[in-house]
Amino acid sequence: MLISKKSKEIVDACRFCWMCRHICPIGNATGQERNTARARALTLSVVERGAAELEGGIIDNVYECALCGACTKECVTGWDPVKFTKETRNEIALTGKLPAYVEKMLDNIDETGNVYGKTEFCPCLAEAAADLAAMTDTLFFIGTDARCKATDKAAGAVKLLKAAGVKFTVLADEADSGYHLDFLVGAADETKAAMTKCAEMLNKFKTVVCYDPADAKVMLREYKEWGIEVTAEVKTFTSFLAEKIADGTIKPAKTDKTLYFQDPALLARDLEETDAARTVLSACGEVKEMLLYGKDVMWAGSTLMNEYLPKVMTLTASRRFDDLKHVGGKVMVTASPSEYAVLKAVKPDDCELYTIEEVVAGC
Amino acid sequence: MNDFLMLNVLTELEDAVGKENVSTNVVDKITHSVDYFWLSRMWADRGLRMPEADIVVSPKDAQETSKVVKIANYYKIPITTWGGGGGTQGGAIPVAGGIVLDTKRMDKIYDINEQGMYIECGTGAIYKHIEWAANERGYATMHYPSSLTCSTVGGFLAHRGIGVVSTKYGKIDDMVLAMEVVLPNGDIINTSTAPKHAAGPDLNQIFIGSEGTLGIITKAQIRIYEQPEDRRFRGFLFHNMTDAFNAGRELLQKFKPSVMRLYDEAETASLIKKIVGVEKKGAFMNVAYEGVKEMVDVEEKILLETFAKYNAEDLGSEYGEKWWKEKITFFYPGHMMDLPQMFGTMDTIAPYDKIEKIYWEMKKAIETNFPMARFIAHFSHWYEWGCMIYDRFIIDDVPQDPEEAFRLHNAIWNCGVRTAIANGGVVNDHHGVGIKLGRLMKEQYGPAMQVFEGIKKQLDPNGLMNPYKLGL
Repeated sequence: MLISKKSKEIVDACRFCWMCRHICPIGNATGQERNTARARALTLSVVERGAAELEGGIIDNVYECALCGACTKECVTGWDPVKFTKETRNEIALTGKLPAYVEKMLDNIDETGNVYGKTEFCPCLAEAAADLAAMTDTLFFIGTDARCKATDKAAGAVKLLKAAGVKFTVLADEADSGYHLDFLVGAADETKAAMTKCAEMLNKFKTVVCYDPADAKVMLREYKEWGIEVTAEVKTFTSFLAEKIADGTIKPAKTDKTLYFQDPALLARDLEETDAARTVLSACGEVKEMLLYGKDVMWAGSTLMNEYLPKVMTLTASRRFDDLKHVGGKVMVTASPSEYAVLKAVKPDDCELYTIEEVVAGC
Repeated sequence: MNDFLMLNVLTELEDAVGKENVSTNVVDKITHSVDYFWLSRMWADRGLRMPEADIVVSPKDAQETSKVVKIANYYKIPITTWGGGGGTQGGAIPVAGGIVLDTKRMDKIYDINEQGMYIECGTGAIYKHIEWAANERGYATMHYPSSLTCSTVGGFLAHRGIGVVSTKYGKIDDMVLAMEVVLPNGDIINTSTAPKHAAGPDLNQIFIGSEGTLGIITKAQIRIYEQPEDRRFRGFLFHNMTDAFNAGRELLQKFKPSVMRLYDEAETASLIKKIVGVEKKGAFMNVAYEGVKEMVDVEEKILLETFAKYNAEDLGSEYGEKWWKEKITFFYPGHMMDLPQMFGTMDTIAPYDKIEKIYWEMKKAIETNFPMARFIAHFSHWYEWGCMIYDRFIIDDVPQDPEEAFRLHNAIWNCGVRTAIANGGVVNDHHGVGIKLGRLMKEQYGPAMQVFEGIKKQLDPNGLMNPYKLGL
């Protein structure tokens, strides 16, 4: 295989170890042995030794991983299955073995600029952003997932900031952050090109507030790792909200609901931000925790994986509502538009689901 | 089986459990072909494919399991049950091909019964998940093996597993109230509604430890316990093993600690030094005692008085607490023995009148016959009447040729386990038998083996359930 020596070491370390099985959101949801870090590592180790080909079901299995990082967080020795999984995706792309469903999404990016192939967007976001200044110091970066799959939520966030008198800009022709390309093909030239293009856009601003933690994650982690300079200060929406509540700019609405925060995995684990959202929600009402939260959070699904594994996303999202109910909770709050969209699709009638800004605005 | 007939079987299985839960995909075959058994790992490491199932099936409950078993019986297809695949004895490897029946979709928690003090769950549930469910209500399962996060409820039952607080709370076979089992003919049965009775032999104990050879356990009621008000640790250093055995035996006549783990000098100087930080020479023992605070106070007093009689050096609570914190760290890659080493754990159990002799005889047998092997041991599960030895051999310089390595591995196991049996030990304590030790079952049981064989023949006349395991 073409993956790095370090990744091969991780493969060999993980291939006979099941210690992280219990926290894999995909494995827990499907009950399939192949949906474990050890299964993926074992299979790739067999490929590396020439006893199987990197093809068919083995490739599909590489794309069944959510890259949520729970296994990496769990490993006391510090092995990182996400690394070899991403590198293998890159190898699959470089060797022309991409599955048709990935090719289709890449074609969508080529043709429409977004992985979903959307050419028409809900007008609500444009309407909400219509009277914003074309150029301010602060860019409110909506992100592809929110633009395509949770437009009304993004519009709500824009309205909240506007109502509070925050000065910011929303770009109609916002560039894609490169998060999806990074997820699908890893460190390919196309990914770097997309990120570079996005960074050029970001650098016209002093501050960038990312509505979607996935975009903040690549801007703060991958851009830096690949030497793509970002001069703008990149902030997560949750930390920005906490800041604006603290300085009195935003006056949060009070609620008598008990709130359970579903940490976006990339926000909690990759960006190590878990307090800001809780600070925000605590200003609104009582906050309690369900099983696995903060850095240990159980990922609930994504709109990207929903494109090719919709049944699995139904299972992962449903299980998170089960977790909510187990602790007697009824109200889940998210800060990821992607996770919101998949959770919304399976929300039980006796539960409520809000984005964090909806709670602040008054749910 | 020809392609036409195979396709017919596949469509029947798909009809039984849903198309997405039947697989002939290479990735499913590979991942169900290697468990924690050293030989399977070595085989894969050498670039060889282990025996694989023809079909991997994942039923969601007993009813679907029954359908699968009936189909397998009709077509005479072997069935190997796979839980987490974390077993060390090769019990989950489909050596005869056929169907691997993966239980992990049977992971539903049906009831957390606080009145009856049990959780009723599907046996495909990861044990850590039922521990979480118990914890959410303020209880605990008190089953904490190193494989807590890896293995299923069914896997522990099938192999008679054990956890680190076993001395107080028991083995898995003490922790189950009732079970639902799918028999090899597809019938679904329930064991008695209480685990202690005089209604004939104990059905639970016929299926617990049967390793999928007599049926498939699909549901179980697992005991839960109140969280202890107080849990304390105390580390000790013994000057010799004899004193340690005598001290442990005497203590067990007075009360039951939760954790008792005695490490021989070799393991104290290696693993315990590395992970817990004990630098001194001797045999380290960690003891934990827990429950209602007033009782823990009394137990601590008895412990200190008893161990003082055997000149045990009191190391205080620090090492014990560190051990508790790191109890699973021992088993992560980088801390645990791993390839390219050859290694194995020959856990055996015996009464106190035999256990020390078994330890010395096994150590001598391994070190004499296989001078390239290191022998380390600890004694981690204690009873009023005896304790178990968790003795390991480790070889750093392993033959590269897989067949040569295979032969060496089995020769060491034959030597070690035969020595244990010859001196009054049992073939295994808590890892099970699998394919690794099947050949030694007849040596252990002699004519008593016909009882197991008779049950097997009656329940599984076609010999389809996990063939070549458990010596059946």
